[in-house]
Amino acid sequence: MVLIIGGAYQGKLDFAKETLGITDMDVYTCNSSQIDFSKRCIYKIEEFTARHDDPIGYFESHREEWQDSVLILQDIFCGVVPLGAENRAWRQRTGRLAQYLSKEAIQVSRIFCGLEQRLK
Amino acid sequence: MTIFISGGAKNGKSTLAQDLTVALSKGGKHYYVATMISSGAEDDDRIRRHIADREGMGFETVECFRNIMDCLKIADKDGVFLVDSVTALIQNSLFPVEKNYEIDLNAANRCVEELVEFARTVRHAVFVSDYIYSDAEAFSESTEMYRKCLADIDRRLAAVCDTVIEVSAGQFIIHKGDLRI
Repeated sequence: MVLIIGGAYQGKLDFAKETLGITDMDVYTCNSSQIDFSKRCIYKIEEFTARHDDPIGYFESHREEWQDSVLILQDIFCGVVPLGAENRAWRQRTGRLAQYLSKEAIQVSRIFCGLEQRLK
Repeated sequence: MTIFISGGAKNGKSTLAQDLTVALSKGGKHYYVATMISSGAEDDDRIRRHIADREGMGFETVECFRNIMDCLKIADKDGVFLVDSVTALIQNSLFPVEKNYEIDLNAANRCVEELVEFARTVRHAVFVSDYIYSDAEAFSESTEMYRKCLADIDRRLAAVCDTVIEVSAGQFIIHKGDLRI
């Protein structure tokens, strides 16, 4: 599994397309509390963590399904601590998921202004 | 040599950018492109602090609030330009003060194109931007448009500049090129 993280609009998906052979057909864009792991590239995982209380548990229970995937996550946990409790909880579980996925990944790339910084 | 610098607020971007500009000038002409339109006492105070920071460094100040190519009408293109900041230029263009801050996407796009052209035209420039892309907050539509415009120019400048540096807590992460001047 390859994990791509970075801020909004930094070019994370473009990087997956340019270097990992991902096409639009391969991309599942998260928008609910479920993930379609039949697609090779899982995009906007922060939209999934916004809607699921235990994202690490969910990923663990589907472990076999994402071993060869490209996972793309926005690092929403680097900014200002939000005033709202719900956003604070979202920020925290997303940060924890990032740590979990980063341990599991064979490659971790952070995208900064369209440029890759290889973290692992 | 063209250098693009970004990172969080109050992390040392401007100080690094000033030092690099002076080093690049090798005693020759170097310009501070003043981009900020003051909107009150807080901004005046910031501008005063920045001016004090630059004192004795030999900068000539060129005012430019939107379209950066205008600088070349008065400044020598073989000098070194410190553009601090790209963020202010985009903000001034996207939310024009004369039009009561009503969004002007065309002006913002023109600002982006001119910045890229400027980076390709001048011999030496240091661009400073702000990294505002990692929040757990749903922003308003206009703020989101602003983040998108700034990210667009960041990516394009990072692509054309020789060196790209992220500043974090006063430390430098070099994403592209090097700092050999």
